[in-house]
Amino acid sequence: MGIQSVQIGFKHICIMTTVLIALILFLSFICLIALPSPKEIIESLKSSEMIFSLKLTLISALISTILVMIVGTPAAYALARFSFFGKRLIMTILDLPIAMPEVVLGLALLLLFGRTPLGTLLEDIGIRVVFTKIGVVIAEFFTALPYAMRMLYSTFETISTRYELVARSLGYSSFETFMKVTLPMARSGIIAALVIAFARSVGTFGTVLILAGGTYMVTETLPVTLYLNMSYGNLGMAITSGLLLLGVSFITIYMVEKFGGRKI
Amino acid sequence: MSGFLIVKNIHVDLGEFKIEDITFIVDEKDYVCVIGPTGSGKTILVETIAGLHKPRKGVIILDGRDITSLPPEKRNIGIVYQDYALFPHMTVFDNIAFGLKKRISKKDEILREVKAIAQRLEIEHLLHRKPTTLSGGEQQRVALARALIVRPKLLLMDEPFSALDFNTRTRLRKLVREVVSEYGTTVIHVTHDFEDVWSLARKVIVMYRGRILQYDTVEEVFNRPCCELVASFVDINVMSGIVVFSNDKTIVRVGDIEIVSKDRVCEGHRVKVFIRPERILISKSKPVSKFDNVVRGFIEDLERQGNILRVQVRIGSICLKCISTPNVLGSLDLELGSSVYICFRSSDVRLLVES
Repeated sequence: MGIQSVQIGFKHICIMTTVLIALILFLSFICLIALPSPKEIIESLKSSEMIFSLKLTLISALISTILVMIVGTPAAYALARFSFFGKRLIMTILDLPIAMPEVVLGLALLLLFGRTPLGTLLEDIGIRVVFTKIGVVIAEFFTALPYAMRMLYSTFETISTRYELVARSLGYSSFETFMKVTLPMARSGIIAALVIAFARSVGTFGTVLILAGGTYMVTETLPVTLYLNMSYGNLGMAITSGLLLLGVSFITIYMVEKFGGRKI
Repeated sequence: MSGFLIVKNIHVDLGEFKIEDITFIVDEKDYVCVIGPTGSGKTILVETIAGLHKPRKGVIILDGRDITSLPPEKRNIGIVYQDYALFPHMTVFDNIAFGLKKRISKKDEILREVKAIAQRLEIEHLLHRKPTTLSGGEQQRVALARALIVRPKLLLMDEPFSALDFNTRTRLRKLVREVVSEYGTTVIHVTHDFEDVWSLARKVIVMYRGRILQYDTVEEVFNRPCCELVASFVDINVMSGIVVFSNDKTIVRVGDIEIVSKDRVCEGHRVKVFIRPERILISKSKPVSKFDNVVRGFIEDLERQGNILRVQVRIGSICLKCISTPNVLGSLDLELGSSVYICFRSSDVRLLVES
């Protein structure tokens, strides 16, 4: 009896903590939705700044997501399957941006693309990264890559190498095996990685601000719109961009829940 | 060296596990079981032959071709795992047809071949299903069909029946024996289960700590193990003795008793004497005929193991393991300490000269 009441007490404290924290978060979302008048939101949505920002956000996020998947899939596969010199160090470096503040990542990229031979070389062949739309994509790419790679890595890790050996024993090369067996088996993890990469790209703020400059109607993505309008005191515009970002987050969580579960 | 599969002086080091100095030859259409305690390197050996691990040293030759540095897809070796490893995103049909599609492009030919093997393995009604909806026995038949349909030169099986229940295992064993001989496949089969060895294999490899202790026919390994380690692994009675008489039969003095064997060894040699526990009969009264070895002792230990009863009988300074059934022991009204006769034939007593 005594032990049971202690357990119930502890259980209740845990549950109450969860409920409380969820409630506070939920109230803040309600404020975002309920405070502005619908008219204000519609007007903000129609403004050329918001249309520009939404377009740039979606297009840049789409491009960076595609790049993340093209680079991240073979990279995560290599880390999950093969052992090679310096693997642990590489894994740490690739994970670092998750723990690193975005502004620091942005600054590091700004220095790399601005002041080094690499930056000059790119500029010579006509690719300007710093304070441009390319910079937006690059900033989003590096911010989203580690998240997608973690997802892909753990997905490949859970697929036994036995499937691959069986496929190869039946005559398929390692690349054919990857395409016909490993990738289809990793399907749900790949979709989850895709969604996470897109959501992180859409929400990237600090890195975009530092590397691409956050210039009005030039390198202005939704988080930048929120920030700029807050500083002008234009709450309607700020809240509208916040709502759009919230929408993306909700869709992301839903998609991850739906596809992220290990079905294999 | 000549043979269908020649594994010569193979060394593989995977850090945690390794195999060393592995040498053996398998003839065409032979069935070889690999046994040994957990961690003895059985799976590494099989995966090295399949091409997953690159040996540090040594050569593997299959059907006259050096395959040591070939990738798995160029070896024409099939593999069947304990957990089946069926591709979950494909139907049973696509799983079986997978290897065939790489070799032939005619759809009707693929269809015909898949149907034929599915019929043989009694899985024709499952072709449209996804593997996850099948029972263990059905999944293993699909895995077998997938491996056999491309007619591999060598089929490797890593504990293929160990995840199955007793009845399924027995049925599948029979099916494997038939199908493998119909296809004329050469097989290397890793197992923990002696039933697999007795009902399928012609030869046995006994592995221990990454090395081969003995490679011989089933008969030899189970009746005349080459060393104590193999003897204890194959669960056989081992005693030491001296040959005291040798003519058409050999008499060996072991402790206080004399044991008659049909094996020929000259007088005066020190020998190891082997008797399989299941070859020993326990009797309450002295049997009249048939057995040329009858010794009196008492029951020292009884242990029930599934359907059998393991009995230890003490005869002076030696102790013999015997196998009986609860039924027999019950009808003889025997218990711990009972005085019994143990009887065995001289043809079941094997001798090995000690060096």
